[in-house]
Amino acid sequence: MGKKILSKEEVLHLAKLVKLTLDEGEVKKYQKQLGETLDYIKNLKELKTKKTNNYFSSFHNAVNVFFKDEISKKRQLFKEDVFKNAKKRRGNYFIVERIL
Amino acid sequence: MIMEIFGKSIIELIDLIKTKKISSKELYHYFLKRIKKYNPKLNAFLTVVEDRINKTNRTNKIEIPIAVKDNFCTQGIRTTASSRVLEDFIPPYESTVTQKLIDNGFSIIGKTNMDAWAHGSSTETSDFGPTKNPWDLSRVPGGSSGGSAAAVAAYLSPAAIGSETAGSIRQPAAWCGVIGLKPTYGRVSRYGLIAMGSSLDCPGSLTRTVEDAAFLLGILAGKDDYDATSSSKEVPNYLKILKEKKKYTLGIAKEYFEEVDEEIKEKVFQMIERLKKMGHRLKEIKLIHPKYSISVYTIIQRAEVSSNLARYDGVRYGNNRHYFGSEAKRRIMLGAFTLSYGYYDAYYKKAQEVRKLIIDDFNQVFKQVDLIIAPTTPITALKLGEWEKYPFFGELMDVLNEPAAVAGLPAISLPVGLDKNNLPIGMQIIGRWFDEGEILNLAYQLEKETEFFGVTKILEDWKD
Repeated sequence: MGKKILSKEEVLHLAKLVKLTLDEGEVKKYQKQLGETLDYIKNLKELKTKKTNNYFSSFHNAVNVFFKDEISKKRQLFKEDVFKNAKKRRGNYFIVERIL
Repeated sequence: MIMEIFGKSIIELIDLIKTKKISSKELYHYFLKRIKKYNPKLNAFLTVVEDRINKTNRTNKIEIPIAVKDNFCTQGIRTTASSRVLEDFIPPYESTVTQKLIDNGFSIIGKTNMDAWAHGSSTETSDFGPTKNPWDLSRVPGGSSGGSAAAVAAYLSPAAIGSETAGSIRQPAAWCGVIGLKPTYGRVSRYGLIAMGSSLDCPGSLTRTVEDAAFLLGILAGKDDYDATSSSKEVPNYLKILKEKKKYTLGIAKEYFEEVDEEIKEKVFQMIERLKKMGHRLKEIKLIHPKYSISVYTIIQRAEVSSNLARYDGVRYGNNRHYFGSEAKRRIMLGAFTLSYGYYDAYYKKAQEVRKLIIDDFNQVFKQVDLIIAPTTPITALKLGEWEKYPFFGELMDVLNEPAAVAGLPAISLPVGLDKNNLPIGMQIIGRWFDEGEILNLAYQLEKETEFFGVTKILEDWKD
């Protein structure tokens, strides 16, 4: 049974999608480990299943549970609470990574 | 006076305070002292709350300390999910679970260690060191609620809150010889629980008695406006149901006994024989082999993890993504893979289809039986470091827990004996959706009948 190993490009592409930086060693490791996992989960092919439009079976039939779009005093956070954990702040702004 | 407290359940401690044998303050300091003394050996707690915080203006003076797994946001108390990404994160809000605890007379005494982001079954992926199993310090307590299980087993807290996505309460409960209850998905609000697998996560408890599990569930269960997936189903009086005289039809599936250690099988069969003597009916049932649940769970969980962990960018709180540990990275990567273009159909959609198959399978079986009995884990507690051999260790360890987890079913793990290495063995009872009452009833019957063969009383090493 051929052991699946992901290509370096596949691993790097995935890392980019999920915004993770990997070093050479990690890339090699994930090529192998992800391959091993993929090999195992192939066993689902052995089971016959029906295609369905509802992929998210709700166990208790909840449908369209909405929240009122209004300000609730109960969960209001004061500015200081909002910024308390931010490492980089300028006034009432969070500082983010440069995008362009 | 101190000896009066050791090993007592929440219900018993409430009584001690009510009858003025001790004060809430004394009780808190009792546990604080024990934590200071024993936590260095166990590393069960990451954060200890030295000053009793009583956040509500209650005139009710009864306060019971409780440990909470570090993935529940506790306002003003550091919450890390055992990851360096959140090592200095102090939540500005309270999770529904901890708010309910506070409103009902509990004091959060500390946050317990876990596998980072709940990714694991041994507590070894914690960025703050592993927790040791109180039964054997060279071994792991299981995970991801390992810190909570160890804290209860060593009586550093009378009970603890944990969470389960697939086995994270039941497995450490089994490996630490305590009672672990995973409610039905949606029974307890996930608001404020750091999300791992949003369609799987269930807050639950680790306790020393079944009555305590029933008591805690009664407090925590119920619809929450802040969790759209929480159920509006009425919360029954679990403590009342506990004592009802009931007889059940119990299902036993061969598939759940394959590749399980002989000693575990022996102890579980011993319990099953007892159940028969107690008047319950036994029925052989056939269930889809648990190995398929491993695949279903691995795919769905990792897909949801990759999405849920996208928010950790170090902008609004915490550290940036360079701080993720290798297990977290691996799961995020696989999750992304199964959701990515070209593979979504083959993996994620297929997994959801099989999930439906598993749910239908259980529904069929529950027409013939009331409850399902099985071992909780295939083996007992491993030695530290053994997990590295497996690429998806967690999922393999939890093979017997994943089917109920993916189907959202409630289940409890009970201690049923010790193996030749003096390590606890767990047996689980799985029920229909929202049948926690029945599960607790049977568990209570077993507790009264066998005292779980003294497993919950044994820990001489950890006496005061």
